[in-house]
Amino acid sequence: MKFLNPKRWYYTLGREKLFELLILAVFLLFFYVPLLHLFMLAFANKYQVPAVIPQEFGLKWWKYVFEQKSLVSSISLSFIIAFITTLLSMIICLPAAFVLARFNFRGRKLIMLSFLIGNAFPRIGLYTSIGIVYYKFNLMGTFIGVLLIHMLGSMMLMIWLSVSAFRSVPREQEDAARDAGAGPIRTFFNITLPIAWPGIAVAAMFTFIASLGENQGTLLVGLPKYRTMPVEMYGVILDYPATAGAVFALILIIPNLILLLLMRKYVGPETLARGYKMN
Amino acid sequence: MEKRTWKTNLFIAAMIAPSLILTMGIIIYPIINTIVTSFRSSDGSGFSLEYYKFIFTDKIAVNNITYTMGIVIVTVMGSIVISYLLALYLRFTDSKISKFIGTMYLLPRFIPQLVAVYAMITVIRDTGLLNRISRLFGKDFRPGLMYNAKGITLMNLWFNIPFATMIIVASLSAIPDSVIESARDVGAKKLNVFFKMILPLSFKDVMIAMTFVFMSNVSAFTTPYVIGGNNPIMLGVYLRKQFSEYANYELAAALSVVMFLFSSVSAVIYIYTNLKEKEWEKV
Repeated sequence: MKFLNPKRWYYTLGREKLFELLILAVFLLFFYVPLLHLFMLAFANKYQVPAVIPQEFGLKWWKYVFEQKSLVSSISLSFIIAFITTLLSMIICLPAAFVLARFNFRGRKLIMLSFLIGNAFPRIGLYTSIGIVYYKFNLMGTFIGVLLIHMLGSMMLMIWLSVSAFRSVPREQEDAARDAGAGPIRTFFNITLPIAWPGIAVAAMFTFIASLGENQGTLLVGLPKYRTMPVEMYGVILDYPATAGAVFALILIIPNLILLLLMRKYVGPETLARGYKMN
Repeated sequence: MEKRTWKTNLFIAAMIAPSLILTMGIIIYPIINTIVTSFRSSDGSGFSLEYYKFIFTDKIAVNNITYTMGIVIVTVMGSIVISYLLALYLRFTDSKISKFIGTMYLLPRFIPQLVAVYAMITVIRDTGLLNRISRLFGKDFRPGLMYNAKGITLMNLWFNIPFATMIIVASLSAIPDSVIESARDVGAKKLNVFFKMILPLSFKDVMIAMTFVFMSNVSAFTTPYVIGGNNPIMLGVYLRKQFSEYANYELAAALSVVMFLFSSVSAVIYIYTNLKEKEWEKV
């Protein structure tokens, strides 16, 4: 048992290294073991009780999941909704973000604040009260109703992240372009937009991811017709074997991981944290 | 403010109008609607406070409030303290391990809530990974984390530590090395540097992190809905139940206003710390 003796570790590694390894171990155990475990289950054919490692690996449950009609249609529905949500919130929020970043006008603070209030008011309370409004206007269980709920979820981050993206564009550079004879529209598309683009792309990515993962609101206003992946996931957690659930969960993660990989250059704590400050 | 032509003003109005209309429609109007509904009386005779009275006197409702607050306070404290320590480590240790953790800790922010909860369930439930590992050693260890406050808190930490760490790391990296080095040069002890410089300089962002962790957990729904017990239940689940199962819209509305007031306490602190610097007034 010499191997397990902590003193031995202490002397061979030194205090600091040992401490660091402990942090790493706790970090990985807490954050990554559940995810990796899920990953393993998704590729298990047989996983009966005492086994830690599945008795048999394979793609049996992938086939099973793709044979469930409701699950497959929820996948495409989720992507369609996420795509439209992202596009619409960019069209609606980006002009506002640009103006909020560049001009000072009466009511500006109030507008920034109203986005914050939307975030401070409990989501579930907003959804239920929107639900009541939906009943009045016959929007319950409609596509537009679901879209609005999804946009609500991402509006604040979309505006705030884009405001700070536009603000990071140096004014002098825009002025220089204007002095050289470029019109305001050309300046915007040739100077402002390219510089602000990474921040905007991060905002768009978050909108997409938030929309893909949105569950409470859709569960409330989308049923019975619009069942997105996360809504189906509620049923999957209750009714399906863990191995099938893992497959479906993995399908939900994959697009996020791809996006994260594509955007990893821009997604740092500095960019993301800015979105939560009221600048 | 510089003088502007009416054309510019029109431009500003036109750019901002769509998002403003949307905000009015899906945020402001529902909020006003909720507040009005919450003051309705059950016999329809007009204004009354009966639903608020109910929330603060009914045994089950009060129980749910204290239950929620307990979980939220433990979550906020736990995630802020752990995140601060993690952020300090990430900021001031320059090693392969800290760089590795520095790139890996953000990933949980990108995992859909339900997937993360499900992944945790497969580990902590009675036939989950922990139990199966314990069986290897001939024991039958049952973590007992499902359907109670401990499980919810554990899951909350999973979600909120990466978020809070992100905010605090961003804040700590804004403190230049030279400032800390010069303090050390004139003989300040490590603890002194921490309490006199690092903590005050990052305090504002700690408040921001606390506000958002607090707000998102007061009204949490997904986690308590999936791994919480039946009694007591967290306010988000309670509200949803009143709405969907009992169609008690007035009580649901009053509950959202109460939750909003709880959140507002932290939001006020947040706005105050933000306003103090007046940075957001700069254009």
